[in-house]
Amino acid sequence: MKHKTRLFALLMVILVIVFIADIFTGNAPISIKDGWNALFGTSGNAIIDEIVFNYRLPKAITAILAGAALSVAGLLMQTLFRNPLAGPDVLGVSAGAGLGVALLTTLGGSALYSAVSWLGSMAQVVAAIAGAIPVLLLILGVSSRIKDSVTILVLGMIFGYVANALITILQSFADPDSLKVFVMWTFGSLSAVTWNKMPLLAILVITGIIAVFFLQKPLNSLLLGEQYAASIGLNIKQTRRIIITITALITGTVTAFTGPIAFVGVVIPHFARALFGTVNHKTVIPATLILGSILMVTCDIVSQIPISNQTLPINAVTAVFGAPMIIWIVVKRKKL
Amino acid sequence: MQVKNPILLLICCIFCFSINGCKKGKNEVAATKTTIKQDEFSLDSKVIPKYAKGFHIEHFDSFIRVKIHNPWAEGEIYAVYNLYTNDTVTLPQQGVNIKIPLASLVVNTFAYFEFLDQLSELDKITGTSDGFRIYNPKIRAGLQEERIVDLGNPFNMNIEKTLALNPQAILTSAYAQRDNYSERMIQAGVPVIYNLEWMENSPLARAEWIKMIAVFFDKEEMADSIFNKIEWRYLSKKEKTKDIQKRHTVMAGDNFQGTWYVPGGNSFNAALFRDAGLDYYYKNDERSGSIGLDIETVLTQFGNAEYWFGCAAKSYKELAEKDPKYLLFEAVKKKHVFNNNNRTTPSGGNDYFESAIAYPDLLLCDLIKAVYPHLLPHYTFTYIKELE
Repeated sequence: MKHKTRLFALLMVILVIVFIADIFTGNAPISIKDGWNALFGTSGNAIIDEIVFNYRLPKAITAILAGAALSVAGLLMQTLFRNPLAGPDVLGVSAGAGLGVALLTTLGGSALYSAVSWLGSMAQVVAAIAGAIPVLLLILGVSSRIKDSVTILVLGMIFGYVANALITILQSFADPDSLKVFVMWTFGSLSAVTWNKMPLLAILVITGIIAVFFLQKPLNSLLLGEQYAASIGLNIKQTRRIIITITALITGTVTAFTGPIAFVGVVIPHFARALFGTVNHKTVIPATLILGSILMVTCDIVSQIPISNQTLPINAVTAVFGAPMIIWIVVKRKKL
Repeated sequence: MQVKNPILLLICCIFCFSINGCKKGKNEVAATKTTIKQDEFSLDSKVIPKYAKGFHIEHFDSFIRVKIHNPWAEGEIYAVYNLYTNDTVTLPQQGVNIKIPLASLVVNTFAYFEFLDQLSELDKITGTSDGFRIYNPKIRAGLQEERIVDLGNPFNMNIEKTLALNPQAILTSAYAQRDNYSERMIQAGVPVIYNLEWMENSPLARAEWIKMIAVFFDKEEMADSIFNKIEWRYLSKKEKTKDIQKRHTVMAGDNFQGTWYVPGGNSFNAALFRDAGLDYYYKNDERSGSIGLDIETVLTQFGNAEYWFGCAAKSYKELAEKDPKYLLFEAVKKKHVFNNNNRTTPSGGNDYFESAIAYPDLLLCDLIKAVYPHLLPHYTFTYIKELE
């Protein structure tokens, strides 16, 4: 127990360190003193204040929220489907969100224009949520009729493939500029969340995360197999519905605000289980949240490394970090 | 029971905050994009461009107002700028207020380098995007000497570096939806000047946008005089093709991953073909953007076209290696194929995408020279090049 507490304390310290490092590093050379003043008052220079307080700080907070949310969503999916390679995107919700944004970017100049101009800067977020909801409803509809979770996993992936196929069709008709706008969205961006969007992202994600804490016991029961869980009185269908709803909510929200971010959701739950040497969700849930945040904030720092004067797409950075870990998992569990 | 309540809470939260989120979006739009009401400022004069449909300029007593029209919604205004020279003047509440002449500018659209050069304002550029893809030698020199900062990918410019530059304004292409970068800049109080010249459907209309950018440097008269010369040169070249009896047929664009994008009949390129005395298959088409076609359709519609402009290949050999189907085109058989690579840099800069907007007459001359060389015996190609 003491060991666990110490480990949690250490992870929290690391999180605070990377969070601060994220705020104090970037492409614009800003001294620690100026950064500190900008953060807690004013540096006397409006540009520095703007960069630190209105750009770096919301970006770092978004990294924490997105990392925690996607990782815990991945954990839920891995436990529900008892599949170590499941991630937040297996339900097809991210692809649904992508379809919503693809529709917006390709038709935003014509058929959807009035909706786009009415929604302003929230248009992409609303489009992503509007794309994710039908997929969620489909999955929920299927899950209430099908007993086997693996079938839901397969269907979720098929929904994802269909959504991606529709995206490809839209892309093939799109003009090159709209295409580029969509492709940039698929790269993922933590900086898209401004202060005015932050409350919506934070409240949705934090609500989802709080709900996950109430699922500790049902999740632990599921680890022993659905039949066993049912035999000790767990309502499998209802639990499954709740897990799917929370995962879709978290994944859909994060994808809507930051674009699709891969790997974090698959890799972090494994990391958390390995680090704490347990599969008990009472430990794994908070561990996943903290580790997910640490990884995402670190990825944000890495993405600022100046290569040909531009920031690296966060999606690429997380994948570069995540890929070796996936390989490790696959090699470690030869049965895969 | 244990897990039921959080879900109810969740659903309530989603509902409440989704509504809240939408309201926020609406307010933002209302603040930035509105149809301007008549105000108490008295209008002195109004400049309606001769060819361009995307903007107009209004002169008031103490300021100039530039209105950018919304090409996606007729009658709507995309952006409004109130330009003033004196800090003490009262300005309308609607629109973005900018003090002119601009002293520094970030330019995220290569097409404006030449306009700014002609207006002798190129030195005001402090930042730009995709430095390696730039042809303009003065901008390249500026980047090399670090007078100009390369801000990276034009669709994802470096936000921190831009803010650190503290430009007086940012010039960028407008799209149907606002991007993250522009939104960030507006929030930081940096005015974003949107240009929509790419939505215009004739070469002269595009060139007329020099008048729009000139106002931001208080150089309207100079821009008028430059444009009048452009117009005269263009129309005099167009005049040369009016007596052509047999118009040669033309095809355009190239195959990209199975889709061949050809210009719509109401596009800039279609207008250029018409003015160069060429016969284009989609001449009566109404579309102003590109039309995506498959190779079968292209072969059917353009198989007999005598000239091909805008080919992506450098040589006939490369064309044949890419896809033997290219050899079926009449234009390829006759070796009448041209690319736009006459002025390029090794790293990918191409002047066709930069200065051509300000020299529509040279674009026209290129086409006339390629198809009717006897009309321009002493002219040599500026932007286009025959395949090797």
